Amino acid sequence: MSLFLASVGFGLVTASVLAIAAVGFSVQFGVTDVINLAYGSVMIASAYVAYFVNQLGPGVSIWLAMLVAAVLGALLSLVINKYVYAPFQRRGMAPIGIVIVSLGMLLIIEYTIQAVQGTGNLSYTMSQGPTLTFAGLILSGVQLAIIGLSVVFMVGLHLLLRYTRFGKAMRATAADRTLARNCGIRTDRVVTLACLLTGALCGISGTTFAINLGSFGATSADLFLVMILAAVFLGGPGQPYGAMLGALVIGVITEVSAVFITADYKYVPAFVILLVILAVRPRGIFNAGAIG
Amino acid sequence: MSQATLFYLANLLTYGAVDVIACLGLSMQFGVAGISNFGYILFQAAGAYTAAILALPPDTANGGFQKYIGGWGLPFPVPLIGAAVVGGLIALPFTLLVGRRLTGHVAAIGLLVTAVMFNLLVTNFVPLFNGAAGLSLVPQPLQNVFNPQSQTYQWVYGAGAALLALGTYFLFRRITESPYGRSLRAMRDNGQVADSLGKDLLSMRTAMLVLGGMAAGLSGGVLVGFITLWDPGAWGYAETIVLFAAVIIGGSGNHKGAVLGALLVPLGFEEASRFIPSSLGPPGMIPALQWVAIGLLIVGFLWFRPQGVIPEPRRKVFAWAQGRLAGPRDGVAGPVTSPAMSPPAGEAATPRGGAILSTEGVVVDFGGVKAVDGVSLSVQRGRLSGLIGPNGAGKSTLLAALAGSVRVAEGRIYFEGQDVTQMPTYLRARAGLVRTFQLASEFKRLTVVENLISAVPGQRGDTFRGSLRGRRYWGREELAAIERARELMERFGLIEYADTYAGNLSGGQRRLVEIMRALMAEPRLLLLDEPMAGIHPSLARKIGANLQQLCAEGMTILLVEHELAFMDEFCDPVTVLAEGRILAEGTMVELRRHAEVVEAYLVG
Repeated sequence: MSLFLASVGFGLVTASVLAIAAVGFSVQFGVTDVINLAYGSVMIASAYVAYFVNQLGPGVSIWLAMLVAAVLGALLSLVINKYVYAPFQRRGMAPIGIVIVSLGMLLIIEYTIQAVQGTGNLSYTMSQGPTLTFAGLILSGVQLAIIGLSVVFMVGLHLLLRYTRFGKAMRATAADRTLARNCGIRTDRVVTLACLLTGALCGISGTTFAINLGSFGATSADLFLVMILAAVFLGGPGQPYGAMLGALVIGVITEVSAVFITADYKYVPAFVILLVILAVRPRGIFNAGAIG
Repeated sequence: MSQATLFYLANLLTYGAVDVIACLGLSMQFGVAGISNFGYILFQAAGAYTAAILALPPDTANGGFQKYIGGWGLPFPVPLIGAAVVGGLIALPFTLLVGRRLTGHVAAIGLLVTAVMFNLLVTNFVPLFNGAAGLSLVPQPLQNVFNPQSQTYQWVYGAGAALLALGTYFLFRRITESPYGRSLRAMRDNGQVADSLGKDLLSMRTAMLVLGGMAAGLSGGVLVGFITLWDPGAWGYAETIVLFAAVIIGGSGNHKGAVLGALLVPLGFEEASRFIPSSLGPPGMIPALQWVAIGLLIVGFLWFRPQGVIPEPRRKVFAWAQGRLAGPRDGVAGPVTSPAMSPPAGEAATPRGGAILSTEGVVVDFGGVKAVDGVSLSVQRGRLSGLIGPNGAGKSTLLAALAGSVRVAEGRIYFEGQDVTQMPTYLRARAGLVRTFQLASEFKRLTVVENLISAVPGQRGDTFRGSLRGRRYWGREELAAIERARELMERFGLIEYADTYAGNLSGGQRRLVEIMRALMAEPRLLLLDEPMAGIHPSLARKIGANLQQLCAEGMTILLVEHELAFMDEFCDPVTVLAEGRILAEGTMVELRRHAEVVEAYLVG
């Protein structure tokens, strides 16, 4: 039983990392209409930047570095969308073509990092904090911080989408860009801001992912991308709340099966869930309608 | 030339042939049929593993240093055949899994994920194929008879592989240039429309997945027989991207392009890096930059030259046919009589009048919104009937429901006395119930004449088997179909555009192509959705007269149109639809007297 609880604890941490990533992915897809398979590589690029900032001096905390990573993730996402995906879309390229372009971007970003960094793995310099026990769950301070951070982001995003003009404009743009523009929403600006926002989430999730992993390399996020896709499609693409729920389910299932099946196959349930959804209900299980 | 160079060239020949076979399979799936199989590498891996375990002795041999299933020690060419067969067989579950959704980008991601998952499973499950270490010491074909290390063996192997590649090329070209290949390209350009013209998408996609899978499997078998080892590192998801890059860069929809792409990308890249000194930069930098370059090439080509180095050729079928008809006979030309030539089936026998199609309380429900709300309609045989109504009345949805493109929530549809409510679109089309679309729906990368003859039902060459039998088998029928298309193109004034890509025509011309194409399908009942949109009024009147003539000859037409003058002149009876229900029915003269109709639609 304690083993199960421990794995649930790990699952919650993974789910928290996954939630930030999946919500960013899902909102980005909703607003830009791109299934961005390069998303995981942007996460890793951000994690690398966080590493360099972290290594600048002994006093530079990883949490500070994370902020820099968020900025880089935001800028990189914006640039990729504005100067790569959007021009292709304006030419009327089919979604499948854009997916192929995003695979090209994935290779470019990931292997540029590897060319610079080599194939070795990196680790942040940081303290894990005190170990805390709570209702049978054993978590380190860092893990708790990740969970807390994720909850803060989820609540923040909820407030943003529900109660701000920008949030509403973003939901309108995701639902129907042409209609939104005709209603006087400056959709180009909304798309730009949404790319920055989701890119920042991507950067933060990349850093938390790297923290949670312990050590990371250029291609570390490849399998994680499948988990993101599983969470996103489980919740219905473009659905931030669906992605949160999907992240929770996928994160916990993955870590629990790491203990009860074996760590080698821990990603398999996420794979199988994703495939079943794609085959049976590609619009998601929790999908209720438009974004938000 | 030194021994080493000769050895190297022999190697190159085999590698090149393997890449060509693999790229041809993908070119068939992606370039011709429009199936984005992101899991393609899985099929190559399946072929390689199959060939390996068929050729290897039981895993207790060699001191049992590797574990694997099978190990039958079978002689050449069994492993190679097994590789192709298994490559094809494992395609079948995919068609069951994703079915009719297979072309979508969502399905493509599903296939990518499947390939990644199987790689993970094979890597971690050692008893299957020796896990991450992979299989080694795979026996080479006839290695007991000849010395595999010899120069001659290497060259013969390379020549054999090249022959297989050549055979694959000619086979695939034969299929692509047949009427069946044209149907594949039509499916690629617009699946929904191909479906509405009676093409069985599921069967075509299955055939292409299996055929491409066989090519991939064969390439894997040839490769493993040469390099004698195979491990999960050889077939990561990125390897699929390399093959896609090859097809895109070489030119998709064109097997010459695939061959060129195979020689440029997988082979060229692999070899070019050999000549870069490895001391350059930190370890692993050169391979990493190779991947970056492939990514850049994909994005760059898709932007600057999406058609690839060798673009898909425009098939000047009409010019070819004119040459054949004018020139001396050589077994293909001849009297142009065939089923394709005959007028719409059965109109002489069927009596005039009576309903050809009737519906009972048809409801189409879009998530709670009833776009069509209990429509009971009957379409009289041999009449040019009209369907009008304000925007959003459900006219197009009703047509789509009749043709089978949207699902009916309630009610029944009878066509020629048969209940077709559950019948798939393509079967309704084959039964003679054909629709056109409100939005432009020409097959863009088919010429005008190809668009037309793609719709001819029951062509001998429009089956997988028929396509294999070559032009001698289907050429005569093709000429007959082109002859019929010529008459139509002359009547509609598009003859000079016969060999032009339909996608390059003006909006009005494309509508004409669509009408002509529907007529080529020999419909008993033709459903036309706003056919006159974008067409000059004088031409519209000419078309109207033509349609009337066709009805007099036995066809039935139901036509949605906003232009009431057209309805006044040509359509009788006319049904008025409003808010998903039938408001009134009658001649336009009667309808104009009907207060409710005038209020709902005719005024304003």
